[in-house]
Amino acid sequence: MPVLRRMVHEVHSIEIGAATQYEQHQLMVGRDQAEALFADPALASVRVHVAAPGDRARIVAPLDVVEPRTKGSAGGVFPGWMAPVNRPRGGDTHVLRGAAVLAAGYLPRNQEGLIDMSGPAAERSPFGRTNNVVVEFDRADEATWQEAEVALRRGLLRLAVHLADAATSAEPDTIEELAPPHRPGTPTGGLPRVGVITNLQTQGAFKDVFVYGRSMTGSLPTLFDPVEVEDGAVVSGQYGHPALRNPTYVHQNHPVIAELRARDGQDLCFAGMVLCPEPVAQADKELVSTHAAWLCRAASFDAVIVTKEGAGNADNDLMLKVDALEADGLTAVALYAELSGADGTGPPLVAGPRSGAVVSTGNYDQRIKLPAVDRAIGGAQLRIADADATAAVEIPTAAILSALSPLGAGWLTCRAEQELADQKLVGQMLGGTA
Amino acid sequence: MRVLHYVNQFYAGLGGEDSAGIGPRMLEGTVGPGRLLAQLLGAEHEIVATLVCGDDHAASNATAAQELLEMARDAGAEVLVAGPAFGSGRYGLACARLVAAAQSAGLPALASMHPDNPGISDAGEAPVIASGATAREMRPSVQRLAAAVVKVAAGEELTPADGKVTPAARIGQLVTQRSAARAVELVLRRLGGDREATEVPVGGFGVVEPAAPIDKAASVTVALVTEGAVVPAGNPDRLESARATRWLRYPIDGVDSLASGEWESVAGGFATTAANADPNRLVPLDAARTLEREGTIGRLHEEFLVTVGNGTPVATARRFGVEWAAELRKAGVQAAILTAT
Repeated sequence: MPVLRRMVHEVHSIEIGAATQYEQHQLMVGRDQAEALFADPALASVRVHVAAPGDRARIVAPLDVVEPRTKGSAGGVFPGWMAPVNRPRGGDTHVLRGAAVLAAGYLPRNQEGLIDMSGPAAERSPFGRTNNVVVEFDRADEATWQEAEVALRRGLLRLAVHLADAATSAEPDTIEELAPPHRPGTPTGGLPRVGVITNLQTQGAFKDVFVYGRSMTGSLPTLFDPVEVEDGAVVSGQYGHPALRNPTYVHQNHPVIAELRARDGQDLCFAGMVLCPEPVAQADKELVSTHAAWLCRAASFDAVIVTKEGAGNADNDLMLKVDALEADGLTAVALYAELSGADGTGPPLVAGPRSGAVVSTGNYDQRIKLPAVDRAIGGAQLRIADADATAAVEIPTAAILSALSPLGAGWLTCRAEQELADQKLVGQMLGGTA
Repeated sequence: MRVLHYVNQFYAGLGGEDSAGIGPRMLEGTVGPGRLLAQLLGAEHEIVATLVCGDDHAASNATAAQELLEMARDAGAEVLVAGPAFGSGRYGLACARLVAAAQSAGLPALASMHPDNPGISDAGEAPVIASGATAREMRPSVQRLAAAVVKVAAGEELTPADGKVTPAARIGQLVTQRSAARAVELVLRRLGGDREATEVPVGGFGVVEPAAPIDKAASVTVALVTEGAVVPAGNPDRLESARATRWLRYPIDGVDSLASGEWESVAGGFATTAANADPNRLVPLDAARTLEREGTIGRLHEEFLVTVGNGTPVATARRFGVEWAAELRKAGVQAAILTAT
């Protein structure tokens, strides 16, 4: 099978105009064209805005985020939504790198979060660094919220494809090859076979993630083709804890797959991925964890990085898998956001593995001061801070979209105070300013 | 200096669990571990009396610490020492509350317990010196405590080198390598043989052994307790929806069932629609009353205890557990049904 390729077109600036076009790294979003893609009986109206890195702008109550991608007129991205699953595979995927489309506004069970386009929150969210097309919406009176949510999701996917379609004839900035994982039995030259288990949240309406358009609720874990995830086979409809959310964009750019692939053939052999639901009953958690570990063994993984979505419930799923893997003799590492209180002195873990290791994606509770901004999109109020949406506020890191990304897309970690003090001391001894 | 020493009923030789309900009292001179402590303190310091309280009483009675403190003052205490409580939750809580009350009233005080003792967070401004996990480590624990007492008596500051337990803050910070890349690095380090490598320390989650079955359920008093945040509609006492700092109690004497509309769950961690349609599914009062009528259980305790488990730190939850156990034991409850969400 030929190696699939990604044609990467960088987006350096964004604006709204009469017609969608992409030229010289500038993306123009055709207002009417974009809004027409959200035509649905469940939505009374939509309004398209843009927000770019550096803008003094805040996006309130962000919902899902999607990276613009297309395979051209033949289609093929977002299988299960925008393409049949049994579509012809292959063909180049065009990506607008540095751009994102997202919806923002009230939705039941959406835990309110934010994205700032400048300041400390922008440094912490992957979406403070992208040129964003933001869609505000009004639900039709006769529609349910669930119907409105489905309409938004379809609209975002259509808009993502529409924008990327504008770049199909442009010369790509870079071409990325998406090497498939190495099958069991392939000689590795002594390198360890390392894979990933990605848990998907499955807690019903507004807390669900779709694989080929279907919820994984009730499913057993499954081996899955990472290239399919990168083609948009996993689409999010999950609106829990903002900082612990895995929007569609992050699945499309699955950070662990990307990092494993980057070191494939050097330090390790990329062995593949397992997708797994996060059931709510303890017995089901134990069942899927045991089975996921069995799949990893059957696929000859030597080591596994385990990812989750959400907190509490999801932490138990994460740690049960680490335990099941280590009990089977595999090396397991979990990605986890600490819950150690605003001052960082509380116990960091809610559930703990018996062995294995944990990478910290930051502290959920650590508070952060954000400066006032000039404009807000998605709402006039920031309810979590009981303030105007544009005001200077202090919020927990938990509210910044994907800042604690359980898929590893963020840049936060935690270190013990003593360790930091030691580093500073060493820095001073070396004459630095650590 | 004149030192007052606090121990629980067990170390005072007044009995075990059967005596855990006794109230605050003072004994002359030293008892139990106080004898070793007195010996190690040397001639410059004298343990003039020993304060005692039953564990259940101390853990379930908010005024116990204040009463003990007044006794210490009356005895002319210049330093107050509590423990070692090792890993014992109620005893640790009692020690912590007493030294906190003393310290904030201007009486130098310090306690000794294991760093994982659920009571440790109640010590306030008073220093806690680390002890071993069990009484098997009595001697080294008391040695360390005695050295700390001498330092405190001399007006010196205690440091971690003295065994002082300090909360180790973990500080969030931005780094250049994203988490996914660090996860790959960590996997490679562990595969390379560094089995200790981790960014977050793991372990420390104890396993709770189930209690032995009850012999004659038909003769025991059973309590209903929950972390499901079930409160009267409107949440008059403002229980948190996450990260509880406290727990509450509500009377159910003469109530057969928790009526929808009169009770609600304010838990933030799950969709409460189904629970609020029938609050008995979180606090199974209707089923428990049936068992009580049938004689399957002896009697249902007159109130249920409630907090919210959603996001509540393990240390806080363990302290609630200690307080609940003391509360229920004092009330003569022999079994509890803990419903969780």
